[in-house]
Amino acid sequence: MWNTVFPYLLSGISVGGQYALIAIGYTMVYGILRLINFAHGDVFMVAGIIMVYMAASGVPLWLCIPLVLALTALIGFTIERVAYKPLRNAPRMSAMISAIGVSYALQNLVLYITGGLNQLYPTIPWISQSVTVFGATTKIVTVVTPFLTLLLVIALVQLINHTKIGMAMRAVSRDFETSQLMGIRINRVISITFVIGTFLAGVASILYFTNYTTVIQTSGAMPGLKAFVAAVFGGIGSIPGAVVGAFIIGIAENIIKGLDIMLFKLGLIHGPLGLATFSDAFSFALLIIILAVKPTGLFGEKNTDKV
Amino acid sequence: MSTENVLHIEHLTMRFGGVVAVNDLSMDINQGEIVALIGPNGAGKTTAFNMVTGVYQPTEGKIFLHGQDITGRRPDEITKLGVARTFQNIRLFSSMTVFENVLTARHLRRTSNFLSATFRLNTAEEKKMRQETEDLLKEVGLSDVKDEKATSLPYGKQRLLEIARALSTQPKLILLDEPAAGMNPQETEELGAFIRQIKDKFHLTVFLIEHHMNLVMDISDRIYVIDFGKQIAEGTPAEVQNNPAVIAAYLGVDEEDEEAGKA
Amino acid sequence: MNNTTKKKADPAIFFSAVVVLCIYAAVFIAEQTIAPTSMLFTVLKKGATYALVAVSMNLLNGFTGIFSLGQAGFMLIGAYTFGIFTIPAAQRINVYQYYNGGIVQFSLPWFVAMLLAGLMAAFFAFLIGLPVLRLKSDYLAIASLGFAEIIRAVFQWDKLGVITNGSNMLNNYPTFNDFNIRNASGKVTVYLSTLVPFIIAGVCIGVIILLINSTYGRALKAIRDDEIAAEAMGIRLASHKRLAFCISSFFAGVGGAMLAMYQTTVQAKSFTTAMTYEILLIVVIGGIGSVTGSCLSSFLFVACSEWWLRFLDQKQVIGTFQVPMLRNGFRLVVFSVIIMIVVLFFRQGIMGTKELPDLFRSQHKKEKEAQGK
Repeated sequence: MWNTVFPYLLSGISVGGQYALIAIGYTMVYGILRLINFAHGDVFMVAGIIMVYMAASGVPLWLCIPLVLALTALIGFTIERVAYKPLRNAPRMSAMISAIGVSYALQNLVLYITGGLNQLYPTIPWISQSVTVFGATTKIVTVVTPFLTLLLVIALVQLINHTKIGMAMRAVSRDFETSQLMGIRINRVISITFVIGTFLAGVASILYFTNYTTVIQTSGAMPGLKAFVAAVFGGIGSIPGAVVGAFIIGIAENIIKGLDIMLFKLGLIHGPLGLATFSDAFSFALLIIILAVKPTGLFGEKNTDKV
Repeated sequence: MSTENVLHIEHLTMRFGGVVAVNDLSMDINQGEIVALIGPNGAGKTTAFNMVTGVYQPTEGKIFLHGQDITGRRPDEITKLGVARTFQNIRLFSSMTVFENVLTARHLRRTSNFLSATFRLNTAEEKKMRQETEDLLKEVGLSDVKDEKATSLPYGKQRLLEIARALSTQPKLILLDEPAAGMNPQETEELGAFIRQIKDKFHLTVFLIEHHMNLVMDISDRIYVIDFGKQIAEGTPAEVQNNPAVIAAYLGVDEEDEEAGKA
Repeated sequence: MNNTTKKKADPAIFFSAVVVLCIYAAVFIAEQTIAPTSMLFTVLKKGATYALVAVSMNLLNGFTGIFSLGQAGFMLIGAYTFGIFTIPAAQRINVYQYYNGGIVQFSLPWFVAMLLAGLMAAFFAFLIGLPVLRLKSDYLAIASLGFAEIIRAVFQWDKLGVITNGSNMLNNYPTFNDFNIRNASGKVTVYLSTLVPFIIAGVCIGVIILLINSTYGRALKAIRDDEIAAEAMGIRLASHKRLAFCISSFFAGVGGAMLAMYQTTVQAKSFTTAMTYEILLIVVIGGIGSVTGSCLSSFLFVACSEWWLRFLDQKQVIGTFQVPMLRNGFRLVVFSVIIMIVVLFFRQGIMGTKELPDLFRSQHKKEKEAQGK
């Protein structure tokens, strides 16, 4: 039984780590701007595409990685300046629509560049190698991801709790207007938030696509949505919440993928139920349940509406 | 004084986290009275209104309307039972005209369902609603601006429209939250006469929060004074004005400044 | 259309009615005279379908202020309901080849199935609305989007294949072309394959307009403008939001059925979040809160993406100069840029909150003012 469950669990933890890195971007942006950045998943996908093209044009891989991360962060910065900043005083719905517009634009741009064909992700040495862990064969990246994720999260939490910019971020997410009045340079804080968020999405893209090997314009949509669900699940605005949520969702969806086999081995069913169909839908079901039961998520803070 | 009780409030308390906004407030308002609730800023007046109209659920205490317990009912249910209100920070329907604002407040007295309304099987009712709205606008003197956007009106008229909209729900008790805020002295004086006039015309009972002391003393039958959520005095305008606790807690502060700040 | 109490016969409404009738007449004439393979009819058929769906979304997002992203899910329910109940009994063994012909072994007339499509979508909306409508703006958006994804998965589930045909497509049901009247030898005598979808969409949109301008429509707008004030005026938020959600979904379901007829095949995997985004963008371009705007922008959107901007996807040579960048997909890039410009700089969209009769009214008003001077 363990041999059946373990591979699914392992890839669940791995995907969970990748979702976590994406989810942090969602949760930080939402914490500060109260905006669901629908384009975040597509930035993650674009990072994958940049890697494909950069590697194909002959840039050595060791250089590609930092360049991809820097470029992704730059894209995040630019999107905020171009598409969200002009709408800062507009109704919240406008910024959300703009985010959807950016998502649409990024997907179409990539469709144009790639011709809508699956792009093979470059094989990054070492992390693409196969390894056997407790009898399950997988890529090294699967094992590395959760550790790298935790490392980055710890670094980020340190940054937020112990640096000046981190303090500014906390202040802005607590009270946008007051921190503006207190002389915090809002635009700088917001830009840095986007840069951090998209940088982490860039890291996630390297880990994710090394595992899945191909990129296409729609590759970012589902991971993006699931990462957002993870952020809501953990309590939006809370970084530890997003990470916990992401691991739960990553593990749950992979377990569901193997649920037919597990149930069969346990003798509970005699033929396939096709439950794998629901591996994506499950995240959303979880989202709706948590919103109905505890709308602030696992770690979210309660805010009261003023009348 | 009439004897029929309209609103009876019993030991009402509201806590937000550690803050006690309203503390053990009890009051009675009888048919046909104009009763004012006054107190310094942040004394908990609007919170009390919000509990009576169902926006907040009181932490403790009970609220009775005509003897019926309405504690914890939804705002729309309470409005249907005959309690209408205006808002301190004007909350008109911004996309609508003056006429539509008042007409929309008639929706709760409909007898049609969405199908009969959609397929125009309720023309008689719709016609009646529109006619009544016309009449009401004439009554309050907003007929000439009825096709203007509500939010394009001057401040004083917007306050008047808030009252008209509240009246359109056909209330027995009307709660006015600082109806004179932002009005000039002349408008304020006219407002006093207007409140009396609608009270008689529509057989209303009036419960108001107000900072303009001249207006309060002029039109109120009785006044409740609260400070830090707690009642410190109750009585006729003359009694309240001479109450040492009130003078100390409220009128003791420079009243001129208070009013200047408001206007 | 709404705030006219003075005169019974409003000339603006009369003119608008004339305009709409002229459009229908033009569609009818065009269909009899222009070759049916023309792109024009593709645009008109798909445009009419999208117009209905966009207006139904506008009813929620624009008129009630509920930011829902579940439209594709309700269209899916409508499209499947329509397909499942209209495939001729004799064809079922072919369509449901992996499921022994499925368990539904009868077929309904198309209009009954279409009505059923709407009702089914509305019924699901009722169930989904119970948990979702209590949420605040962006949570509601993401939860409704999630529901659409769940529905998509459920319809592809193998165990429901005897009803939904699993992940395989549904086809062989009536399509728009079946509206054409044919003579005994099978030759088309009267072309109606564009006019009928126009009529279906028109009637549905007409009903939505009637609703918007009824006392219920005013209540919905009140909720959009200020929930707290609306509730204080005795409008029960929960029931009115649910009403708007169900009605919107009803028409999205009918729109889904129309899409099924237009496409001639239906497959659950095509009803993605991207489809909802597309409809939302149509609503935004037309003007959030304008039915006329949603209709106009649906046709524009479809015309641009299916027809007018097609040249951007092909190599173009002017003289000896080959225009750079033109190749497959460029159309969508240009399109995205236009959309972003509208979203960022023309937030009112084409119509703002204006409707067709308002256009005649402002004209009228200006003339009057000119005379006054």
